[in-house]
Amino acid sequence: MLISCNKLKSHIKNPEDIDWLNIWDTFTLRTAEVENVEVKGNKFDNVVVAEIIECEPHPDSDHMHVLKVDAGETEPIVVVCGAPNVRVGLKTAYVRVGGHIDGEEIKARPLRGILSNGMCCSGRELGISDSHDGIMELPDDWCVGKDIKEYLPIDDIIVEIDNKSLTNRPDLWGHYGIAREICAITNHELLPLDILEIASDLEDLDIVIKDNNLCYRYTGLKIENIKNNKTPLDMQIFLYYVGMRSISLLVDLTNYLMMELGQPMHAFDARVVKNIEVGLANEGDTYTTLDGETRKLTNEMLMIKNGDKYFGIAGVMGGLDSEILPDTTSIFLESACFNAGSIRRCAAKLGLRTEASARYEKSLDPNMTDLAIKRLAYLLKEQNPDMVIASNLTDVYPNVLKEEQIILDKKTLSNYMGKTLEDEMVKKILEKLGFKVQVENNFYDVTVPTFRATKDIKIKEDLIEEIARIYGLENFVPKPLKLDLTITEHETIYNQEYEVKHLLASKYDMHEVHSYIWYDTETLKELNIEKKNVSILGKEANNILRDDLSLSLMNIVKENFKNYGKFQIFEIGTIIENNKNKRVLSIILTDNEKNLESIYNEAKKIVKYIFKVLKNKEITFTSNINELDYYDKTLGKIINIENNKIGTLNVLNKSCTNKLSKKKAIVTIDIDFDKYVKLNKDTILSKEISKYPEVELDYTIILENKKYEDLEKVLKTFLNKLIKNYHLVEVYENKYLIRYTLGSDFKTLEQKDLQSFQEQFIKHIKDNGLNIVE
Amino acid sequence: MEEKLRGLKEELTKKLDEATKEADILNIKSEYVGKKSEIASILSSLKDMSIEDKKKYGSLINNTKKEMENLINQKLEELENKNNISFDDTVDYEVETGSLHPVTIIAHEITDILKKMGFTVVSGPEMESEYYNFEALNVPKDHPARDMQDTYFLNNGMLLRTQTSDNQIHAMENYSAPLRICAPGRVFRNEDLDANHENTFHQIEGMVIDKGVTIENLLYVMQNLLREIFHEDVKVRLRPGFFPFTEPSYEMDMSCLICGGKGCPTCKNSGWIEMVGSGMIHPNVLRAGGIDPEEYTGFAFGFGLTRLAMMKYKINDIRVLNSGDIRYLSEFNIK
Repeated sequence: MLISCNKLKSHIKNPEDIDWLNIWDTFTLRTAEVENVEVKGNKFDNVVVAEIIECEPHPDSDHMHVLKVDAGETEPIVVVCGAPNVRVGLKTAYVRVGGHIDGEEIKARPLRGILSNGMCCSGRELGISDSHDGIMELPDDWCVGKDIKEYLPIDDIIVEIDNKSLTNRPDLWGHYGIAREICAITNHELLPLDILEIASDLEDLDIVIKDNNLCYRYTGLKIENIKNNKTPLDMQIFLYYVGMRSISLLVDLTNYLMMELGQPMHAFDARVVKNIEVGLANEGDTYTTLDGETRKLTNEMLMIKNGDKYFGIAGVMGGLDSEILPDTTSIFLESACFNAGSIRRCAAKLGLRTEASARYEKSLDPNMTDLAIKRLAYLLKEQNPDMVIASNLTDVYPNVLKEEQIILDKKTLSNYMGKTLEDEMVKKILEKLGFKVQVENNFYDVTVPTFRATKDIKIKEDLIEEIARIYGLENFVPKPLKLDLTITEHETIYNQEYEVKHLLASKYDMHEVHSYIWYDTETLKELNIEKKNVSILGKEANNILRDDLSLSLMNIVKENFKNYGKFQIFEIGTIIENNKNKRVLSIILTDNEKNLESIYNEAKKIVKYIFKVLKNKEITFTSNINELDYYDKTLGKIINIENNKIGTLNVLNKSCTNKLSKKKAIVTIDIDFDKYVKLNKDTILSKEISKYPEVELDYTIILENKKYEDLEKVLKTFLNKLIKNYHLVEVYENKYLIRYTLGSDFKTLEQKDLQSFQEQFIKHIKDNGLNIVE
Repeated sequence: MEEKLRGLKEELTKKLDEATKEADILNIKSEYVGKKSEIASILSSLKDMSIEDKKKYGSLINNTKKEMENLINQKLEELENKNNISFDDTVDYEVETGSLHPVTIIAHEITDILKKMGFTVVSGPEMESEYYNFEALNVPKDHPARDMQDTYFLNNGMLLRTQTSDNQIHAMENYSAPLRICAPGRVFRNEDLDANHENTFHQIEGMVIDKGVTIENLLYVMQNLLREIFHEDVKVRLRPGFFPFTEPSYEMDMSCLICGGKGCPTCKNSGWIEMVGSGMIHPNVLRAGGIDPEEYTGFAFGFGLTRLAMMKYKINDIRVLNSGDIRYLSEFNIK
């Protein structure tokens, strides 16, 4: 929102004491964020009032004129001008030779052969209006030769306040409210507004509110005999500076009031007003707003109706048929207050956010509507002394919003502030902001003005915020929390996730990725996979939440295949399974098709390693009959810990893999991280080391049409008290190298011990139908 | 005698200098200090000498023998250590490293700092109920944040949480007061994607509840947190803000690190960068968590981890973060 300092000054007593350029840093800290401060009027100088005393067509031009102007100097000055509104007797803005416009020096220069000494300018050239229809038309009673800055409020400071930071302050959507804040910050006095009191000896207007919950108040007034519809120049400049277009006095005044008080108003041409009714639209009806757009209505949109016709969309925009026209002399003024949520939803649905709706959706004070009308009437009368009030100030206000009291105990205030403030200071701060304060022994009895009560101030903590901010947040001294050595309960999820991530990235050189909680619709379609799960409402694509983390990473896999032949990624993320959140660790290994065996075994090793190092637990793999048909039917494994499933290891099937990239292999691991987190880390106990040396013996066993798991069964049944342990060293074709570690706690093994072990072992293997290389 | 001994030593030194093979040296060894060597016979002749000569030559002969043995052993070690392996010792390979996601790195850094201040790290669900995401946090039914266009509502009556503040309620319910928690996590907003906007990003929430917690404590924690993160003397300012779940509410700005507070395009010439939303916990929120606001006060804060990671690592397109593109992510080696 744009704020004019000239306007603020008009509401404050002794405004000259305030440093208007620098107050805004403080304003940011006290009230709301200031985004920009711009000094106006410093881009031109030597612009004076001048009267056209002679006006002849330019002999060499079809539109230019040669003027003689009186600029208060001894001789008339010759100026060449192309504006259409030049005429003898017109007083206009004239830049002297040597003066500046928009920072550029004006020189005497020939225009089509005639020397022009300076120039006459339009409002746009001076940066005080967007009008460029002609040169400025100044009042007849202004003195020639006088700097126009002496007549017009051109020198100004325009401040831009971040709208977002005003969301919760309906009272700050007009200059008067900002002026009140400035008064509180700088300890100045806020001046009352001049208004026109309106007698109630005439007839009421016919106004009906159908729904009290959507329209809180509707105030109307009829005024006739309005002859002058020309906006004074100073008001035009103000409106231009704060971002509004000047249209006509009546329209400008409603905008001016909105900028001054924050109260949106509407002026209807009284000729077309029959009776006003505020009520909901019929579903499916259409209505053409002032901007010429025809809009579809719903039965949740609040409308202003005239007779039996729609007259405007309440709080959003009026319609074409009630527009103020050049010949309008009587008006029906509307000043109303609507339900904020209803206006917000209506504006959002229509995609039509106006200055009015932006204010209404902040929850305006309903007690402001009559003040706004009286203020507008006052300002209108200044331009139209003969205007006639043609109705009572008609006020439909079913549930009057009354001021509320809040008790603020001093102890709570000190508790929050970390310090105790003087009663005087608390009282002064609140009173400057418009509160009434009764100081008692242990508390303050505070009356909240209604302009702060609609949304913002409800409880004592709200008052503490007011006091703390005006006291000055920069006056607080940061203090550490007091020492407290209570042992707090610790949740380990975060740490355990980090531990695993760190391990995978550092030991296995994997890359951690982040993805989305939903499946990529495109990828599912490409892989020809249909997924049913919880879904997002109102979203067409990427709307199915994932129930398989690894699968949801396949679009990332596909993208990376464009740059890498092989890679390893992981994510710990949330999936939604059976309507519940579940954390899952997914690891994906990729390589060329021919290296499937190698990454498959690597994947197994990684899982074993994680559990061994971080949980001190052994895992086992069992075969998985996969219901998920995008995984390979035979290679799927269930990862078990203490006979409970904790995850799966899979190979993406050929057809899916080929769709991601040709001749590749993709191995996936998914570990239930909720279960993982709950696993205790087994205590590591010290182990006795035998003082006698151990001996290693290697055996190569040949498997025909059998797998390692068959061999393992055979090895398990071979019992011998010398065995310390055994493990698989490597597999080459169908040859499996097994290494036994033998030892005794009582003696050093002799050749005959080893000989006897060897004989027994070979016999055992052969008895079980396997071949061994001797 | 002295001369003889010295002569033996010199002779040995000379022979050793010429020797290049281990076998030669071993031969020299048996020749000069072995059982049949000259020095051995001199040593054995010692017993026939007079007491005077014994005194005079005893230690000299012994020392000479030791010195000679040392010379031989030195030569043997020298030969042993002579490096015969030859390879290109100037070869320099690139190392391959894995990477952690930038958000993981920054979250770890921040939780580490908060842990030093006594905070516990907790986590909450991404699919959340309306109660925890809005109602318990004092977000009224009519609040714009609850509109369809900002929040992903789900067909099972739940939603994807729009902020990590749901952890406030979970933590109060799980642990009760006094309490110091922080909760990094992923949140979701219905946004169109561009270089600055994501629908999925990370935040961190912090909350302290105890008897007598003040605005000054909030300021202390914030100031020190930002200082630790940026390892610089960051200036912090509070200004009024508005959040339904805190009262009073504050926006916390940090002095711009690019220009040092002088004003530049990054900070829109203000010298300040908006970093953290914070405030004293609203009494309604404390009540929703089962804590008596008359007995306890507290503060809460939240800020964007994704945004912080982008600032710190100068990532200028937010979409990179959820792309899984290893070309970008591999830069973030494990810290």
